[in-house]
Amino acid sequence: MAGKSVIVEAREIHLAMDLIKLGARLQFLEAETSLSRDRLIKLYKELKGTSPPKGLLPFSTDWFMTWLSNIHSSMFYNIYRFMVVHGGCTRINAIIKSYRLYIEQVQQQGGEPVLDFTRAWTLVRFFDSDMLQLSTCTRCTGLFVAHAHDSQSNYVCVLCRPPSRAGKTRPSGAKRDETEGGSPAAAGGTPAISSSQWLANVMNSSRTA
Amino acid sequence: MTRSPLYMQILKEQERNVIDTGTANDIGDLNLAYLLLAKRLVTEDIALAMYRLGMSRELADLLGSLSLSQIVKLAGSSLLLCRFRFDDHPMLSALTLEGKNPALQQAHAAILLSGQQLEAVR
Repeated sequence: MAGKSVIVEAREIHLAMDLIKLGARLQFLEAETSLSRDRLIKLYKELKGTSPPKGLLPFSTDWFMTWLSNIHSSMFYNIYRFMVVHGGCTRINAIIKSYRLYIEQVQQQGGEPVLDFTRAWTLVRFFDSDMLQLSTCTRCTGLFVAHAHDSQSNYVCVLCRPPSRAGKTRPSGAKRDETEGGSPAAAGGTPAISSSQWLANVMNSSRTA
Repeated sequence: MTRSPLYMQILKEQERNVIDTGTANDIGDLNLAYLLLAKRLVTEDIALAMYRLGMSRELADLLGSLSLSQIVKLAGSSLLLCRFRFDDHPMLSALTLEGKNPALQQAHAAILLSGQQLEAVR
């Protein structure tokens, strides 16, 4: 930390504050800023009033493929790509802006965000490391999140051809959707929980195992 | 008092004119609202404005740099200045045929619009 510009540090603290407010996890903050772990933990406690949650970041690309998650992550990633390609934003700025826009859009639609901030960030990292790709739907021409190297030739998106279960069991609230198409753990009989809560549960159980 | 056919025709014409200026005024109002909104969005954050308006940076910059009097002049037209963004057939049919869940439809529209080619200065 010695010899570092105070202005740069102030900027980083500001960035970290934005990220924490959006719900970023500690690993994320460590990767995106050069602030020390102690400082980040202190900052987190000051802003949120609690210690940052422990545990690993989600690492599976499969989560983004289930029905509702795929819709939400495609929505987010399309905005993100716009911000980078056309908006000329830096990576982290693009993530922050597009995540805010995503939340705004979901709330406008009267739904609840399925993609939490950590997931959104992981999504971008997966794309950066070529684990995911955007496939063009042959019906609506929209771009959707898909596994890398999946065949593009006859691809039809989850909105043009929703899985039968997703179409039939759709209730009006988005909360049920999450348990339906989103999280496999919640689908197994447990009551509806938010995706971040689900994530925390999964990580806690994997740590104790 | 009987009215001559010519008089009746003039009356009809006038009526039509009233309707016409009404339409033109509506369009002018919409143009003005659109340009003012665009200018405000661009001054707030250009990247967000480009996303919301579906515009290239050049065009967004251009709109942002318009003066108020330029905006008023530009808006006072009987032609609409903004374009319908779902101008592509597969896109439009995907959105209109679905018609079941409005939230999903909105999500679909958002995905399609953000992947769309931008309106740009050519």
